[in-house]
Amino acid sequence: MDASIRTLASLFPAERFLCNAASQVAFESDGLTAFRTQPLAIVVVESADEVIATVRWCHEHRVPFVARGSGTSLSGGSLPVANGIVIALNRLNRILRLDPDERIAIVEPGVINSRVSHAAAEFGLYYSPDPSSQSICTIGGNVAFNSGGAHCLKYGMTSNHVIGLKAVLANGEVVTMGGTSVEGIGADYTGLFCGSEGLFGIALEVTVRLLPQPEMYHTVLVGYASLQAAGDAVSAIIESGLLPGALEIMDALAIEAAEAAVACNYPQGAAAVLIVELEGPRERIQCERLRLHEILDRTSPLAQRIAANSTERQSIWKGRKSAFSAVGRLSPDFLVQDGVVPRNRLGEVLVQIEALARQSGIRVANVFHAGDGNLHPLILFDGKIPGALERAEELAAKILRLCISIGGSITGEHGIGMEKREFLSEMFDEPTVALMHRLRLAMDPHMISNPGKMFPGTEAPSLSTMGLHPLEAAGVISRE
Amino acid sequence: MSNETIKPATLDELRDAIVGNECVLPIGHSTKPALVSSAGVTRVSLGALQGITQYDPSEFTLTALAGTTMSNLVEALAERCQYLPFDPMLVDAGATLGGTIASGLAGPGRFRFGGVRDFVLGVEFESGDGMTIRAGGKVVKNAAGFDIPKLLVGSLGRLGAITSVTMKVFPRPAATQTLVVDCESHLQALRRIAAAARSRWELDAIDYAPAEQQLWLRLAGPAQSNTEIAGDIRSSWGDDVDIHDATWSGWSRLRELQCDSIDQPHRIIKLPTTPTQFLATHCELGDDADIRSHLSVAGNVMWIWTRSETATVRVATYLAATQQSGLVIRGNSANSCIGSGIDHPMHHRIKHAMDPHGKFPSHSSAG
Repeated sequence: MDASIRTLASLFPAERFLCNAASQVAFESDGLTAFRTQPLAIVVVESADEVIATVRWCHEHRVPFVARGSGTSLSGGSLPVANGIVIALNRLNRILRLDPDERIAIVEPGVINSRVSHAAAEFGLYYSPDPSSQSICTIGGNVAFNSGGAHCLKYGMTSNHVIGLKAVLANGEVVTMGGTSVEGIGADYTGLFCGSEGLFGIALEVTVRLLPQPEMYHTVLVGYASLQAAGDAVSAIIESGLLPGALEIMDALAIEAAEAAVACNYPQGAAAVLIVELEGPRERIQCERLRLHEILDRTSPLAQRIAANSTERQSIWKGRKSAFSAVGRLSPDFLVQDGVVPRNRLGEVLVQIEALARQSGIRVANVFHAGDGNLHPLILFDGKIPGALERAEELAAKILRLCISIGGSITGEHGIGMEKREFLSEMFDEPTVALMHRLRLAMDPHMISNPGKMFPGTEAPSLSTMGLHPLEAAGVISRE
Repeated sequence: MSNETIKPATLDELRDAIVGNECVLPIGHSTKPALVSSAGVTRVSLGALQGITQYDPSEFTLTALAGTTMSNLVEALAERCQYLPFDPMLVDAGATLGGTIASGLAGPGRFRFGGVRDFVLGVEFESGDGMTIRAGGKVVKNAAGFDIPKLLVGSLGRLGAITSVTMKVFPRPAATQTLVVDCESHLQALRRIAAAARSRWELDAIDYAPAEQQLWLRLAGPAQSNTEIAGDIRSSWGDDVDIHDATWSGWSRLRELQCDSIDQPHRIIKLPTTPTQFLATHCELGDDADIRSHLSVAGNVMWIWTRSETATVRVATYLAATQQSGLVIRGNSANSCIGSGIDHPMHHRIKHAMDPHGKFPSHSSAG
């Protein structure tokens, strides 16, 4: 340990300043296991003051740092930096305030996403953003990467539910943004901070708004003979004026994987399934469900299953939520992308993805948030075969370029992170990227906060073999 | 520098106006005069840059030039049974899309699905150094790059000249119904707001008129379910509930910031608040006949009308003393901010990054 790092180590008891080989290996990767880099040291903070002191030390010594919650980022967003510090935030996990009358919660960044809803449940409230990893991912990471979930079309993403922040900027300055009112005045700094991928600093306290729990769900699983038919059904629902809370599609390969993994009993022989979920007060659902079934009956479904109760609803969702880890049964390795396309062009895009996959000789399973055009192609490969990873990456790149070419986005909810940074300048023009870079420098003049993410051109750690994340293999987390 | 107004007809003319003048303030139709009253700047009106450039109802997105009036936009959406759920403000007065983004003002509908910040997807703007910036996207979901479109919401034209905006839009509910509920006290009203906001009813808007001690609740959805839910509310809260259809004028008067008892306000102020703060503010200022207020968005926004300069000073003094800041929307004010000010430690950093040559004015200070 050199002299300067001893001054950082002196701020922590020995068991919370980790610089041994075992710890460095434990923190070398996140949900995107393709990238691995060992940090210089890990500090396990237990208070906001410790975060601030660490950031100030890093600023003073020009040492890069990466904030990390549960390490579930699918874009390599919490990948450590070589010779940098990992600031592990899991122990900053207090819900500081939960006000049922004002319908807000103020939480520390290490609070697990689903804990907010659990805490709010006794007041009939919940926290809406529901990334698939919600049982383990943290609010701090959700804020940094503006996480989504299955309900974004109706309710929005993380940034639509964060109304205030206290953060330490990369230079050690502590700032507050927004507040406890959902409305503010002046430029929306809270909105800018959300989704900044940790490049501005670290959130210390996050104020989120809570929504009333829907009284009733009406969840329907519909099987179709083709993906096109499922896509057409989504268009018919959208054009009818209904606004379902969720509209999800899985293709045959994804169904096969889910079936093998969790025996979800989806309609046999279906080339695609659609999950539609209405939610709201019972009187409104009674009206809307009639409308929905009139529409669905005209879409030539192979089969329909309506969840009669909460258990059946969970059973329908189980297949969907498990789809990604289930794909691990079909292939030793896979890449997942989360590009977005205009919803009306979903059918055309899926045909093109199929053609690209065929040309590449690679199997692709598709699961997507159909309501908002958010694709999740799962590109299957075997990392042990020389060149297979590179070919899978080439296919992933073609899919992302396809999204850009038709006016979509390279990421709907996973963020750019390490994984897609070479595409930032393909999606945005030079003046826009230059402005983003100026904004980053305004907050972090030494570029020490989560460097190497979002922006192209910085040094990349080497790719290594893939494989399921250990937690994913254990069924604890899943990719969405 | 002067107070002249330039009205470019094209984007090139707009760029020339920005580059060719020392300090410029982009404006729309000046429906919020206090926000465009900076002295010593050249005002550049975006009013001629109008038109819907892309609208595919089934994508739930609409792109329009900044000078497009909100009334045109609302009308185009209504033709396809869609709407902006946050109740855009000052639509009849002539507000533009660019001005709506730059002011960040939202009406009572902000309660259910969010405000301007939650419906802006992409923004094109001219920066102070004459560059065209295209931030955000044109699809309903996008997590790529910094969320500059959100940053511009409420930026009051101080960070760039917005030229085009892409908004998320929603299907318009088939019908609305309004319940006006008489309350015995402000405290009872606040208790009812809290209960209603987390109730199973999924209300579309929850507002409170303190002078009348009346709660306004709006239901949106199929007419039949609105009626049934309204019946349930009435049975929960007794007979002091009047039910009105969509023609009830309370919401539209509020959207135009009209106050029944002050028809020539000295100032109209937006004050972000919470139910608890509202009660304290109302206790302090509510007895003054020259000050009127309305509590919107389930206790999150207070609109304040003052009749005289004395009343305005009283409001400003109270807000400064309680560390609150309000935005002056109307009235011949040199300062757009009232109370403790909106000077933020991040402001100078962001301002310098967005506008390195200082082409756009800084926020006027607290007053």
